[in-house]
Amino acid sequence: MFKGLKFIGAIAVIACAFGAPAFAQSQSACAVDLKTTGEIEKEVVNAQGEKTKVLSPADKVIPGTEVIWTVTATNGCKKPADKPVINNPVPEHMTLVPGSVVGAGSDISYSVDGKTFGAIDKLTVTQDGATRPARAEDIRHIRWEFRNSLQPGASAFGRFRAVLN
Amino acid sequence: MLGSWAREAHAVGAPAGTSIDNTAQVTYTVGTVSASASSNTTTVKVAEILDVVVTLQTPSVPVLAGVTRKAMVYRVTNTGNGPETFHLQMTSVIAGDEFDPTAAAPAIYFDTDGSGDLSSGDVPYTAGSNDPVLNADGFVTVFVVNDIPAGVTDGNRGFSRLMAAARTGTGAPGTVFAGQGVGGTDAVAGTTGANGQATGTYLVAGIAVNAVKSQTVADQFGGTRPLPGARINYSIVVSATGTGTATATVFSDNIPANTTYVPGTLRLNNTVLSDAADTDAGDFSSTPTARVRVSLGDLTQASGSQTVQFAVTIN
Repeated sequence: MFKGLKFIGAIAVIACAFGAPAFAQSQSACAVDLKTTGEIEKEVVNAQGEKTKVLSPADKVIPGTEVIWTVTATNGCKKPADKPVINNPVPEHMTLVPGSVVGAGSDISYSVDGKTFGAIDKLTVTQDGATRPARAEDIRHIRWEFRNSLQPGASAFGRFRAVLN
Repeated sequence: MLGSWAREAHAVGAPAGTSIDNTAQVTYTVGTVSASASSNTTTVKVAEILDVVVTLQTPSVPVLAGVTRKAMVYRVTNTGNGPETFHLQMTSVIAGDEFDPTAAAPAIYFDTDGSGDLSSGDVPYTAGSNDPVLNADGFVTVFVVNDIPAGVTDGNRGFSRLMAAARTGTGAPGTVFAGQGVGGTDAVAGTTGANGQATGTYLVAGIAVNAVKSQTVADQFGGTRPLPGARINYSIVVSATGTGTATATVFSDNIPANTTYVPGTLRLNNTVLSDAADTDAGDFSSTPTARVRVSLGDLTQASGSQTVQFAVTIN
């Protein structure tokens, strides 16, 4: 009986890890829902005749286009989620736009390999046997470490721009 | 990951139709329990850019009055990010030149045999029938073929142009062809407007300078075997044919490897030229590469042939 319970518990953790919030929520464990959106900026002329920029979903884009990626974590449980950390790989075929990463209340770090995270100017890559400072196009992961716990019902978000190669 | 990225950076861009997926992860703790979750996957489709560049591969083509089937070489490159079919067109009626070349029939050929020259194996282009299909970054070599009218004179120029246009459509950069790209994505006219052109020049400069080189060997035993120590006498006949003038023609010839120039043997039309770079027309120099050089001045067909001679010994 005890073995059986443990087994169910293990499944719950796995399900949570693979993002099945409905099932996870049925357990006493907490579930943080994570959502990404990709948008592009379009310039429009408003009713006052002024040019403004609006965001619209980026479903089809051509190379050279900047896509604004937003990842939002929402705490869907009744307890605070402590030490929330969001990790977003820079999508394939895309290059991070330097200086575009934001995330209120978070410490932002980067990685070229998904293992070592740090400030961009501290990262290096090895190319043709030589080590050189990492450039924007070398960055493959962005990490937001939020300083505060995520309260029940609260959201935190990170955002970055990447250009389609 | 890094390596694959580096290769893509040098390509045209992300291939049309590619799905760009984004999935994020979050980790956190509740009490003492660690947990993690993945986000939804947001997908962006790479739309197709329609772009084409036509480049001239030949500098101005020298021609004589009345010659037929003179080819200009062009390259048509798909600089978009997906496969595309291109229509080709040519014209030789262009302002700014002194004569209009006459388009041959057919006037556009593919370099089918890859020789770089118009040759019998090359297939003519027929619009709508064998329009070139080029992958992203792919190119095809094309000849534009014209006849040169009789009666043109030296220095006259005749322009001829090749144009290529994406079959999907052309238009101002940014023009969208909804749903007409690879895999049903949109196709968008790129910076070239999905059409390209280049213009070449036929130049009536009917002067061609030819050099014909001959040699005799004399060995030290009275024979003609090329033994070490044997002497090779070179004779080069330089002549200009056609109309016009080849100005300030200079003949230069490197001393062959494993031989040594015989001092005092340089001659122009049987007149001995000193080896020093001085007031006569010729000189020998050992650096950086051993060579003889003779200034022949302005040559026309009427100048007749000019004979340069020198000798070397085999080391």
